[in-house]
Amino acid sequence: MTTYIVRRLIAMPLLLLGVITVAFLLTYFTAADPLTSIIGERQMNNPAVVEAARERWGLDRSLPERYLIYLGNLVTGDMGTSFRTRQPVAQDLMVRLPATLELVIAAMFLGTIFGVVLGVLAARFRDGPIDNIARLFALVGASAPVFWSGLLVLFIFSVQLGWLPGPGRIDTRAVAPPFVTGFYTVDALLAGDWAGFRSVLLHLVLPASVLGWTVTGIVSRMVRASMLDVLSQEYILAARAKGAGPLRVLIHHALRNAMLPTLTILGFSFAYLITGAILTETIFSWPGIGSYAVAAARGLDHPAIVGVTIVGGAAFLISNLLTDIAYALVDPRVKLSQQESS
Amino acid sequence: MRTGIRTILLAGAGAAAILSGPAAAQDQPLVIARNLEINSLDPHRAFCDTCQIYLSSTYQGLVKLAADDRSVEPLLATEWTSNEDQTQFTFKLDPDAVFSDGSPVEAKDVKWTFERLKNLQADPSFMMNGVASIETPDEKTVIVNMESPNSEFVGILAAPYVGIVNSDVASENGAMAGEDASSADQAETWFLANSAGSGPYVLDTYRPDDELRFRVNENYWGDAPPIGEIVIDHVADAVSQAQMLQSGGADIAMQVDPDTASTINSPDITIETVPSYNFIYVMFSPGAEGGDMLDLEVRQALAYAIDYQGAIDFTVGGEGELQASPIPNGFPGTEGLPMPEENLDKAREILASKGLEDGFTLDITVASLNVYGVDLTLLMQKIQQDLARVNVKINIQPVASAVWREQIANPGIPFSARFYAPDYYGSAQYVQFFGMLPDTYWERNASGQGKVDLVNKSEVDLFQQALAASGDEMNRLYHEIALEMIKDRIIVPVVSPNLILAYRSEIEGVRYSACCNLPLAEIGRK
Repeated sequence: MTTYIVRRLIAMPLLLLGVITVAFLLTYFTAADPLTSIIGERQMNNPAVVEAARERWGLDRSLPERYLIYLGNLVTGDMGTSFRTRQPVAQDLMVRLPATLELVIAAMFLGTIFGVVLGVLAARFRDGPIDNIARLFALVGASAPVFWSGLLVLFIFSVQLGWLPGPGRIDTRAVAPPFVTGFYTVDALLAGDWAGFRSVLLHLVLPASVLGWTVTGIVSRMVRASMLDVLSQEYILAARAKGAGPLRVLIHHALRNAMLPTLTILGFSFAYLITGAILTETIFSWPGIGSYAVAAARGLDHPAIVGVTIVGGAAFLISNLLTDIAYALVDPRVKLSQQESS
Repeated sequence: MRTGIRTILLAGAGAAAILSGPAAAQDQPLVIARNLEINSLDPHRAFCDTCQIYLSSTYQGLVKLAADDRSVEPLLATEWTSNEDQTQFTFKLDPDAVFSDGSPVEAKDVKWTFERLKNLQADPSFMMNGVASIETPDEKTVIVNMESPNSEFVGILAAPYVGIVNSDVASENGAMAGEDASSADQAETWFLANSAGSGPYVLDTYRPDDELRFRVNENYWGDAPPIGEIVIDHVADAVSQAQMLQSGGADIAMQVDPDTASTINSPDITIETVPSYNFIYVMFSPGAEGGDMLDLEVRQALAYAIDYQGAIDFTVGGEGELQASPIPNGFPGTEGLPMPEENLDKAREILASKGLEDGFTLDITVASLNVYGVDLTLLMQKIQQDLARVNVKINIQPVASAVWREQIANPGIPFSARFYAPDYYGSAQYVQFFGMLPDTYWERNASGQGKVDLVNKSEVDLFQQALAASGDEMNRLYHEIALEMIKDRIIVPVVSPNLILAYRSEIEGVRYSACCNLPLAEIGRK
């Protein structure tokens, strides 16, 4: 397995270079000049202002020149300066990526727990009321648009009932914990700020639930289908014949094997949610990478677009690798190095 | 087993302690929910609505716009004079004025500020157009010499973009004011984390798309503001803003639209609707590709075919005002101007006289934007229906705003919609942007970068006279210019949307300002 992982890690920079090149070229060939998002309307007819902006942002250079400068800077960790936030893109991403990861991890946690439990119950009580309820829950979760479900839960749990706070990562009146990891939960604990930790935790509940709902829907259906397949296998019958209790058969023998296809889905869901949590981040004013990507695209913020693409590409590559490793750990039949060579 | 139960009980108690939280503090920060569309916090690069709030709270100009939104009052300057032909302005600085670091505001800071603003070649640099030289005969006197008359110069100085910067502090952090400032200046990043003004607040923290936090300026030389800490929280969506207001997460919501406001029915919330100086307009570009038929008479006919009141009802639920000319209601010269009129008979008559009774088709693009509560695409769909009554068909293609801005210059868009908000109180800015004077933004774009001659010589003459005049004569001249701009029929204002100020009832001092949007230092708790 070690050889396999090393080979994959070596291939990653090459794949990322491809992603960077494509992203760079695509931004260059967009329908509008990025100057339109750098300079206000009034000054667009002022040649001195236009010239100054082109020079300042390096837009007066040729594409190959810009590309090579970008790659050279990237090696030193410099991803350029955002046209929109006027801050280094690397700094923007360093703040936003933990915000998104915190949300996505919480959503994945909630979504996976509920999804697996619902899937197992649905399979165990196939075609009964529990199965139907689980199906309905999964259907709504997978199909309800976040802009609707997000606003709905905000209205019910924040405005009407007042149980949970509204948008944002922390109480609007509180000061964010000092930056260490960028994960507010961790940073608040490291700072010994219990009130802050409580606020961060409560602020996570609604957006993570809304985002996790989609995961619950997918996972529960996948687990149910896999469980039904596994439960009809002969070795399950053998386990029962050997006197294993129903719970042991369900969890130890059936679920473990049924989790394999679910792991694939979870791996992809994680990578997808990192760049796909856009609507949730917008509705909950969550300053993460999804909302950053949308703002960058709208504002023709080329350095930010390429930066987000690199992060998104890396997320998919890493989650793929982790999924493959998890496969090998869960299923001893899978030997990664052999699989790779065959 | 006992250990397990004890662990669970302890964990439960810990969680309960965490979730119970501290009692609410009495002196909490004031929270404002709005879309943080900030392009910069560098006072000489920033140019946006939120920037107006930020700059007017952390920096101070020589003068300020009074609460009546019309007159100018002293601020850092105690007095000022101008020569007869409005080419030289002399300011005396307040001897008590100090920056947030306690150092005095001096003439050298004013000179440095004006020169940096001009030489950075950034968005607000136009405010220093025409400044020939600046003299500082002593530490408290500033003399500004203009290349040509500019009666609006003092009004421009009330804009938040002309706030005076502590030149020593800014220079130490990479700011440059010389002629090479546009390439040599390195201070923008520093300004994103620090302020260097004399205003009632200083910048505490700024996190793009998250929050902008102010704390009170401990060295403020005026009366201390009532609130010690203010947070502008980034909430892009109007519904989310309203929900935050209702749940107590925000004290003020700044961009609640009329539809959302109508759903708020709580004694804890105050909703005020006030006229604004913002407006949405449609424009004709006869020089654009596909705009050949849009001569003056056709433009007049199409302007007659628009149902203005219907557009106001449709887009902002009636919460808006008609506007006569591209100079907004209430600005110098706008009193008594004729409001736009819907007249289908006249529209049909004109089109028939041009042989266009069967109409024509226009392919247009419009920016996918919702500004000041108006969705530009929806507005154009309403106008599409209006124009269909005179057999004019428009095919609408919504595009990103940046794409729209690219297209409006080349190849041009024959007919579309856009918005404008004032940069300061004064009518010259509108003539310089919308007027058919050589090389204004709309003269260039509407003429297809000079393909057709749209220059209105009367406007040119009247504007030169207006810049050299003052008082009633200046108002009269801007009135004449406004009438000429109406006659041009290039820019046709459709609606000036009212502004909805929504805030919790324990908050006071919330008002809309033409220059500064929301003056933070006036806000307090009852």
